[in-house]
Amino acid sequence: MIRSLRILLLTLLPLAYVAAQAKGDAAESKIFPFPINQVTLDNGLKIVSIPFDSPGIVAYYTVVRTGSRNEIEPGKSGFAHFFEHMMFRGTEKYSKDKFNDVLKSIGADNNAYTSDDETVYHTMASADALETIMDLESDRFMNLKYTEEDFKTEAGAILGEYNKSSSSPFNTIDEKLRDAAFGKHTYQHTTIGFLKDIQDMPNQYQYSLEFFKRWYRPENCVVVIVGDFDQQKLIDLAKKYYSNWKPGVAQIEIPQEPAQKGEVFIQVPWKAKTLPILTVAYHGPAFSDKDIDMPAMDLFSQVVFGQTSDLYKELVVEKQLVEFIEGSNEDHRDPYLFTIFTRIKDPKNIDLVRDRIYAALDEARTKPVSAERLADIKSHMKYQYAMGLDNPNSVANGISHYIYLTGDPESVNRIYALYDKVTPDDIMAVAKKYFAKENRTVVLLTQADQSKSGQEVKQ
Amino acid sequence: MKPIRILTACLPVVLLTVFATAKDQPGLKFTELPSTNSPLVTFRIILRAGSVNDPPGKEGLNALTASLIANGGTKNLTYAQVVEKLYPWAASIDVQPNQEITTFMGEVHRDHLEKFYKLFSDLLLQPRFDESDFSRLKDEAINYIQNGLRSQNDEELGKQSLNAFLFDNHPYGKLDVGTVQGLTSITLDDVKSYYKNMYTQANLWVGIAGGYSATLVETIKKDFAALPAGTFREVSVPAPEPIKDMEVMVVEKPTRAYGVSMGYALPITRKDKDYYALMVANSYFGEHRTFNGVLMNRLRGDRGLNYGDYSYIEKFEGGLGSNGVFPTLNTPLRQQFFSIWLRPVQPENTHFAIRNALFELKNLVERELSKDDFEQTRKFVISYSKLSAATMSRRLGYMMDSEFYGSDYYIDRIDRELKMLTVDDVNAAIKKYLHPSDIKIAVAVDEGKGKDFLDAMTFNKPSPIKYQSPVSQNILDQDKLIEVFPLTVNAAKSKVVNAKELFER
Repeated sequence: MIRSLRILLLTLLPLAYVAAQAKGDAAESKIFPFPINQVTLDNGLKIVSIPFDSPGIVAYYTVVRTGSRNEIEPGKSGFAHFFEHMMFRGTEKYSKDKFNDVLKSIGADNNAYTSDDETVYHTMASADALETIMDLESDRFMNLKYTEEDFKTEAGAILGEYNKSSSSPFNTIDEKLRDAAFGKHTYQHTTIGFLKDIQDMPNQYQYSLEFFKRWYRPENCVVVIVGDFDQQKLIDLAKKYYSNWKPGVAQIEIPQEPAQKGEVFIQVPWKAKTLPILTVAYHGPAFSDKDIDMPAMDLFSQVVFGQTSDLYKELVVEKQLVEFIEGSNEDHRDPYLFTIFTRIKDPKNIDLVRDRIYAALDEARTKPVSAERLADIKSHMKYQYAMGLDNPNSVANGISHYIYLTGDPESVNRIYALYDKVTPDDIMAVAKKYFAKENRTVVLLTQADQSKSGQEVKQ
Repeated sequence: MKPIRILTACLPVVLLTVFATAKDQPGLKFTELPSTNSPLVTFRIILRAGSVNDPPGKEGLNALTASLIANGGTKNLTYAQVVEKLYPWAASIDVQPNQEITTFMGEVHRDHLEKFYKLFSDLLLQPRFDESDFSRLKDEAINYIQNGLRSQNDEELGKQSLNAFLFDNHPYGKLDVGTVQGLTSITLDDVKSYYKNMYTQANLWVGIAGGYSATLVETIKKDFAALPAGTFREVSVPAPEPIKDMEVMVVEKPTRAYGVSMGYALPITRKDKDYYALMVANSYFGEHRTFNGVLMNRLRGDRGLNYGDYSYIEKFEGGLGSNGVFPTLNTPLRQQFFSIWLRPVQPENTHFAIRNALFELKNLVERELSKDDFEQTRKFVISYSKLSAATMSRRLGYMMDSEFYGSDYYIDRIDRELKMLTVDDVNAAIKKYLHPSDIKIAVAVDEGKGKDFLDAMTFNKPSPIKYQSPVSQNILDQDKLIEVFPLTVNAAKSKVVNAKELFER
């Protein structure tokens, strides 16, 4: 669900750094408190390994730098995610059942997830099972083999996954918002895909084979190991199991989104009982660990919408007009959206709340944040990141985030160094640059029997 | 940069032998898990009271009081001021009210431990109970029921519907958060009075883990001594009413797919030896969010009926989001239950899916586990359970739950008990505790479809599965048995209700 996704994102922020900052030696410090080893095999597969004090436990991640962003052909939305499911359907060496039996025998926690920019396969297990995991993982990445019948059956599980979340209005808002805000770029569709494409998935067996050939290639993947391991043995194993994997990742051009030419407003009637949910989005920058805009936007979201912002205090705590309000600036490989979500307690206050949001955005263009508050926000972000790194799984997950964005785990250190450099002027600059009316998409979801019209309005 | 090992949270369970629980401490109960090198400090402060303590007509009083403590102010600071203080440290304070206990959770980097503890303890010992915070949090709780649970989260609605149905006329039968009418009738004075009566030394239980000092423990003991001594009184928890055949509750609401929860009370908990034998059987049958379980393989794997199918031998919350597959901790119950959860199924296949799950349960009971299945599953559960205690906070949570049940540390006990088990123990437990009848079933269906759905079940109408695409003959042959698998619905005890009527009073 969108809210938790955003919370996750905000949580993606380390500890040694924080402590070092307190001692005033920030210049030499990196936010990521563990050493990062990187070795690239001849076929282009990168092995990132991070020693972590977790005796007997290891986290094993494979990051495929392909997500729903890569679904450029019409009718193929949701395929990256569908393919994630197919990766559990077996090979000649390890059938689906045998694959699972081996995982069961080592007591592993094994799963996967897909987002706009990535597909991640993750396992947590005892450290002495490292070779077994590598054998299983390398085998399915090189030799996946499934029948057309299995393929079609799995399509049913995808529809089930769509169904399980379909009662949440946030999924519908996400669908409508993307569809309205993007016309060219593949961020137009959600990761799970358009329902019509999901329903057509059973007919796409041949395309699935093509998808595997295109993206499941060593130079498009990064293997991440965190925890208790011996580096030399690890690299020897990686060479043994992955060297036969043939490179050849596809090169495609993802259509770039032209500048928006005017505000878009959409009203979504919701059949079940709901409070109005107002979503206001602006096209923002792509993730970058070099330019100041993205980190400035992250800080901006806290300045204007964070729990200590004037707007939050007014709307949530004092006047209690809304249940919650938040500004989300998700990291993406290509330019995405800065999105404000709020749930309004009384339909009669929709316009009032919307105007207060616009006024707060306007004010941010000219009113600099105080040095003290900016320091508090930076501190919050750093401690939040640091406190999340409390087990090998969360460390592997945290570093995978930056790997899918840039291919380089060191991006985490560069982006946090940039956070430190953000000034009040930088924040005002992004407020002026991105938060213009013509760059805005508004989605208002209201209870159907309380909507002004029963139809969606696209202006 | 010199690598700094910031956390020791993943140390294996061996570390746990250092914990000390001062059971003999008069008044305040204390559980400790010190880890000197850890930069984090985590608190779990448990009030030994939950929704079972709500007075009739004031359902939600326990949860609202707890919410007002965790999300309110202190004697000297407003809520907004508390948030401002916590913010630069990214420290968290959360509350989790449940049926039997209520847990206040705090986590902070030790750089800020002293100041954080002062705030956290002030919230608990000198709550502000501001009228404005009261109205904000009361609104939030009512909205959660009216606009959230009933309409926007079908999976949770299904589970809570089963809970209400299973524990009808029982202290567990209400939502932890309360009922709409109960919450509506609660006044700030009710909250103040509940706090005064319940937040006593005898009812509070402090858990702390991580890089704290012995001095802090002494400070906590001294500070909490300011609370009245009180007396711990356990609410009586009877066995729920017996179930005859299959009792079905169909819940109507606008929805495109139907979630199913079914279950019955179990006479055992983690304190009992049989629980561990049943744990192996359950893992084999329906381990949560893995492909190990029979249910998952037959319903999703073979037939693509939905996203997931699992079974449980105790209350299981959480384990669904980005935080992993393991359950939320500190939700213990003295009266546990067995349940099967089918995630939303296409409407036309829901009746089949219910039959399929019960058909598999019947097979499990009749055919038993083979020695190989037993050995594989036992090995899995022993290793897997250790992964579920990967952080200090979770280990502390498991320690406190173990004490609740009067058992030793859960993860160690699993290891010990499972190593002593035989396949015969597991099969005996299956025979003793599992059965595909005398079960309550809750299904959430689309508005206006409830009666037909219940009739189809009651009259045992054949329910052939509709596939999107062909499957193997082997599966089709089995489908022929499943589509007519008899369900013995107890019509007199079955009903159709609208979601709007649930959790109202």
